[in-house]
Amino acid sequence: MKIRTAPVLAGMLTSLLVVAISYGIVSAESTSITDAQLNRIKTNCVSAKNTLNQIHASDALLRVNRGQLYESMTTKLMSRFNNRVDSNHYDAKNLISVTQNYGTALTNFRNDYQSYEEQLSNALSIDCTKEPVSFYDSVASSRVKRTQVHVDVTILHQYINDYESAYKDFAAIFFQAHGVNN
Amino acid sequence: MDDIKDAEEIEQTFWVKHSFLLLIGISIATALVLVVISMELYASSGAAQLDLSRPGYKDVTSQAVQTDNDFKDYQAFGTLDPSSVNDFKTLYEKEAEKVKAVDAFSGDPLDPAVLEISAPTP
Repeated sequence: MKIRTAPVLAGMLTSLLVVAISYGIVSAESTSITDAQLNRIKTNCVSAKNTLNQIHASDALLRVNRGQLYESMTTKLMSRFNNRVDSNHYDAKNLISVTQNYGTALTNFRNDYQSYEEQLSNALSIDCTKEPVSFYDSVASSRVKRTQVHVDVTILHQYINDYESAYKDFAAIFFQAHGVNN
Repeated sequence: MDDIKDAEEIEQTFWVKHSFLLLIGISIATALVLVVISMELYASSGAAQLDLSRPGYKDVTSQAVQTDNDFKDYQAFGTLDPSSVNDFKTLYEKEAEKVKAVDAFSGDPLDPAVLEISAPTP
């Protein structure tokens, strides 16, 4: 097989260019901090870290308490109802499908929270008086990851609603079959 | 020939003499390896994030819900009749409302402006 060198070279050059531009953007973001902002970070370093410590602790509590509820929704309600419907030979396909999606969303929530917590811990370990740029970047990254955790929570809430809809569809057919008006 | 034999005997005698030290050394090395493995598992499994006994979480430890007894389990087995289907509805709606009541991780507390590390306004 004959390989044409020109397109391969062009592809490699394009890739290099993309990497270089991306690196430039990232570097520009890191270095776009002005001297005035650097001074502000250094001046407010202690208070910013105190606030971050409080957020770190309150988010951990939120993760533990809310996480328990999110787990219970699937282990104590959804999965159990699916089992009961299935063991009585009714069609539980839609209910199981939503439960599986909910399970995937819950795994994403756990992983994204872990990633966020590790990033925030990393930000807290940086001495912002000596490395204000690294500190700023690390906080910015934590902020993005925290937003992702919130997105995961919203998705979980959506699946809780979806399961309710799937239940209503199932119940409508079930009650109709049993001649019950609900 | 005799020299080699003597050297082997001396070496054997050395380990026989220091067998207790060797045992201690191996035990410490094994314990260290196990500690490293368990710490790695603790960090990578996500258990660390749920451990509120870590330093820095002292103030919130008491606020953690230990057991959620209010959260009722639905019976996974048994006959399915209109009453049991309705029971599930009541239970699910109650718990779903409780779960959705808090929009966790909303807001933007890590906003540089909130932390006062943003660029100063002219």
